[in-house]
Amino acid sequence: MHQEIAYRVAYLITGEEAEDAVQDAALKVWRALVRFVPGRPFRPWFLRIVANEARNRRRSSGRRAALALRAAGGLVSGDAAPSPEAAVLAADEAERLRAALESLPDDARLALACRYLLELSEAETAAVLGVRRGTVKSRVSRALERLREEHG
Amino acid sequence: MAKLERALRALPVEWPATPDVAARLELQRRGHRRLVAAVVVAIATGTAFAVPDSRGAILRFFHLGGVTVEHVDTLPPAEARPLTAGLGSPIDDTRAQAVLGAPFLPSDHGQLFDRYGFVSTLLAIPEPALLTELGSPSLIKKFASGNVEFVSIAPGVTGLWIEGHHVVFFSGASPRLAGNVLVWVSGGVTFRLEAPALAKARAFQLAREILGTG
Repeated sequence: MHQEIAYRVAYLITGEEAEDAVQDAALKVWRALVRFVPGRPFRPWFLRIVANEARNRRRSSGRRAALALRAAGGLVSGDAAPSPEAAVLAADEAERLRAALESLPDDARLALACRYLLELSEAETAAVLGVRRGTVKSRVSRALERLREEHG
Repeated sequence: MAKLERALRALPVEWPATPDVAARLELQRRGHRRLVAAVVVAIATGTAFAVPDSRGAILRFFHLGGVTVEHVDTLPPAEARPLTAGLGSPIDDTRAQAVLGAPFLPSDHGQLFDRYGFVSTLLAIPEPALLTELGSPSLIKKFASGNVEFVSIAPGVTGLWIEGHHVVFFSGASPRLAGNVLVWVSGGVTFRLEAPALAKARAFQLAREILGTG
């Protein structure tokens, strides 16, 4: 549960060093347990620590991993299986969108990935981005605008 | 929702397989670093810290071994469950020693169970009592509104006596209403003895028998 979402958040930020980032974050959580307030949601707190760890590693390595797409599937939805032509078009469209997303600056890409790929809540996205909750909407909105320009 | 947002949500991203970080941490815990199993539980299941607010002022903290008690004026909501509920998987003595880093005491015991590093067995004394042992710090959190006091069980063995109903958050399970409890630490292992009507003197006697000092 938390493990998967934490790993994906770290992967978005620091790529191959995600596993180490999550492990270091878990160690920090342990040390910070005495400060954890019962009743406070655990996941945003944990994701904030994971994201900070991942950012530290990213600063050292200077790399982020490019997202890959599954070979099958895509943007075609509905009950009926898509025709081969529709599947090819959907795959092309998905690849164009992925490339546009990858072309965004780190902050914009991460904001969109948190909200739409990982489907994090605003509070969780704020924790990952290290911003106030009220800032998330405006940041996502600006990132979407930029993506529209890139995607066409 | 705009078309672009729908397209983003539907983007078929191929995420790398998530490594089992919780298992890796658990391996370290069994080594020198003694990582808190609660964190492993939280990461793996997302439940360990899903605890409600105590809804009352925290009057005092008590901490002993792997147990932290917050003395509050009002207990958080919890359900009464049998002592036997959610004990985990049956394990043998060898596995228990690997989990705890020390043999389970007393050596003459009934079936052992393991749940996220908590090793438990039921004692018949003659009324049922739950004995739980854990080898890592900061694993059990309790809220108590009754009597909580540090006690001396045997020379060099300090205990924590919690009398009256209290709420325990235990190995990622939902909060449970618990009865009288004696907690003590020996040889790096935290012991927790619980029974609904456990008398203080009887709890001390059992603790000494378990430690072999009685």
